[in-house]
Amino acid sequence: MDYRRCKHKRGKLQLTNGKRTNTFMDFLSKLRHQARSYLFLIVFTENMLLVGVWLVARIYHPGLPTLYIVIGLAVVGLLNSLLISHIGEAHLMQPITALWKAIHHISPHGTPEPAPSPTDYTFGRDIITNLTNNLYQLTSVIQNVEKTNKKATYDLRANFVANSLPLPLIVLDKDETIVYTNDATNKYLGEAAADLIGKNAYTALDMSFQNEDTLSSWLKRSKNQTATANHKWEHVRIGLPGQGDSLLFDLAGYYNKDNPLGYETLLILFDHTEVYAQDDQAMSFVALGVHELRTPLTLLRGYIEVFDEELGPSLTGELQEFMKKMNASAQQLSGFVDNILNVAKIEDNQLTLQLHKEDWEQVIKTVVDDLYLRANVRGITIKTDIAQDLPPVGVDRYSIYEVLANLLDNAIKYSKGTSEIYVTSRLNKTGQVETSVKDFGLGIDSSILPHIFDKFYRNHRNRAQIGGTGLGLYLSKAIVDAHGGQITVNSKVDEGSTFTFTVLPFSELQQNGKELGNPSLTRNAHGWIKNHSLYRD
Amino acid sequence: MQPNTTTAKRILCIEDEHFISELYARALTKAGYQVDVQLDGQKGMAAAQTDAYDIILLDLMIPNITGIEVLRTLRNPAKTPKMHAKIIITTNLEQRDDVRADIEQQADGYLVKAEITPKELVDFLNHLKI
Repeated sequence: MDYRRCKHKRGKLQLTNGKRTNTFMDFLSKLRHQARSYLFLIVFTENMLLVGVWLVARIYHPGLPTLYIVIGLAVVGLLNSLLISHIGEAHLMQPITALWKAIHHISPHGTPEPAPSPTDYTFGRDIITNLTNNLYQLTSVIQNVEKTNKKATYDLRANFVANSLPLPLIVLDKDETIVYTNDATNKYLGEAAADLIGKNAYTALDMSFQNEDTLSSWLKRSKNQTATANHKWEHVRIGLPGQGDSLLFDLAGYYNKDNPLGYETLLILFDHTEVYAQDDQAMSFVALGVHELRTPLTLLRGYIEVFDEELGPSLTGELQEFMKKMNASAQQLSGFVDNILNVAKIEDNQLTLQLHKEDWEQVIKTVVDDLYLRANVRGITIKTDIAQDLPPVGVDRYSIYEVLANLLDNAIKYSKGTSEIYVTSRLNKTGQVETSVKDFGLGIDSSILPHIFDKFYRNHRNRAQIGGTGLGLYLSKAIVDAHGGQITVNSKVDEGSTFTFTVLPFSELQQNGKELGNPSLTRNAHGWIKNHSLYRD
Repeated sequence: MQPNTTTAKRILCIEDEHFISELYARALTKAGYQVDVQLDGQKGMAAAQTDAYDIILLDLMIPNITGIEVLRTLRNPAKTPKMHAKIIITTNLEQRDDVRADIEQQADGYLVKAEITPKELVDFLNHLKI
């Protein structure tokens, strides 16, 4: 609706129709004059009418009593007054009526009213035209101001808060195209807004998340399920791991379906590059050490294999035995390196377990097969007795392998000339799968038993005789604990030791997760961790 | 067994540790594969982009360009046209679990070299669907 019907010139509102331009005061003066003329005419007409009635009565009815004449004059005066006041009121109220109609016409509320037409009014037509035009123009000015304010509020490029926010703010439209980045984003990413805006968010930002709970999976979920949603991610990365220019941050997202301004997704980045990079470096020291150990180990194992395969048959029995021992030693070293690495991970809370449904008998057999050579070169046989009714267990195959391998490796080391080790597994009274590794060797003194799972703690009596780091049992306990099981030991000096640990049937683990309100089957060595959709049967 | 150059599967081994690549090449050639070795990331990536290989064994700690960069470039359609080779990461570098998961997602296999012998590598590749 355009109300601009007159021009704004030199601060005065003036009519544009007609040759001469008049000010509001001219119209007011004209109205006064018109009103005076109306009132004069009314009073004069009234008086003349009464005088006329009196004269007619005296000339044509000279004998008429004065009382009758007075009564006649009163009746005529009354009727005349009623008629004139009615006509006068209709005229005098015209400007107010017109203004009332004009106000209703522009009012955004109530019933729509047609605009008053000045030609419909005889009394005060000019001032009606002037006042209604002023009213329309004022409304138009207010509307323009509102439009300007609205634009300033919704256009983020002109929005003070968005631009001055000291955190990177990125806005995406419904196609996940970047439509806005603030100054903090451009500084943080080192890219101009023009290089980011208009590009697909995933291509332009290339973020890596810790698990499958990513920005795209959240947006996909939100678009299908909700009108608005919030989410937060930790340890998000832009750039390549281990490189100086990679950025590490927490990310917060707000989603608003079909946002009328096209601002469907808001992302705010909280920089933690320094802190998270320190975490990475702490691990990378161990990782580099492990890398340096593993390279010669790879070669050793490779060359041993070549020699064993190509020379083995031609060697004497003694040399063949040396070859086996060399191979077993290389495997043992490989296990030791893995232990160092896993302990470092536990210390840094970075050992993550992915618990899956596994056939427990199969897991045990794999470890026993792998340890066969190590036992064999010491003249030891590993015997297994596994109950047939075991349910599938919920374990991280790689970590639980470490537990069994460490317990068997210890049993081999401490067997002291005995020739058998037993691995037994059964369902215990509480419904958990209980597995024992039993040797008949040195045994452990009762005073030492309470500390046997401590880090770097070793059987002092045997330290001189048996090699080892004291990490194996510490690691085994941490891994069993993280699986939700327990590990215990029974031992008697010179009779041997039995280490027993439990793991949960997969069904129980699944149920526990649900009851805790966290259906995740991803854990770290210190308890439950972030959500993870690895809920598989 | 000597490789038949017309039918043998071609393997590119990007590995800077010469003794390891030598051991792998020996075992793989004996198993009937045709093996080329590249000792650095830049040359390895250029060779991989020719799409002349069925399998690429990619170490992560290699000179010039890291294995992760090579992997990303080979998996980026804007930088490398679609290639048919399977990419198997062969590394002794221990990664954070999230980083490893990210790499595993982009590759077709992930092997820790210290945990396998050359013969076990051959077994693994023989079972790979190419």
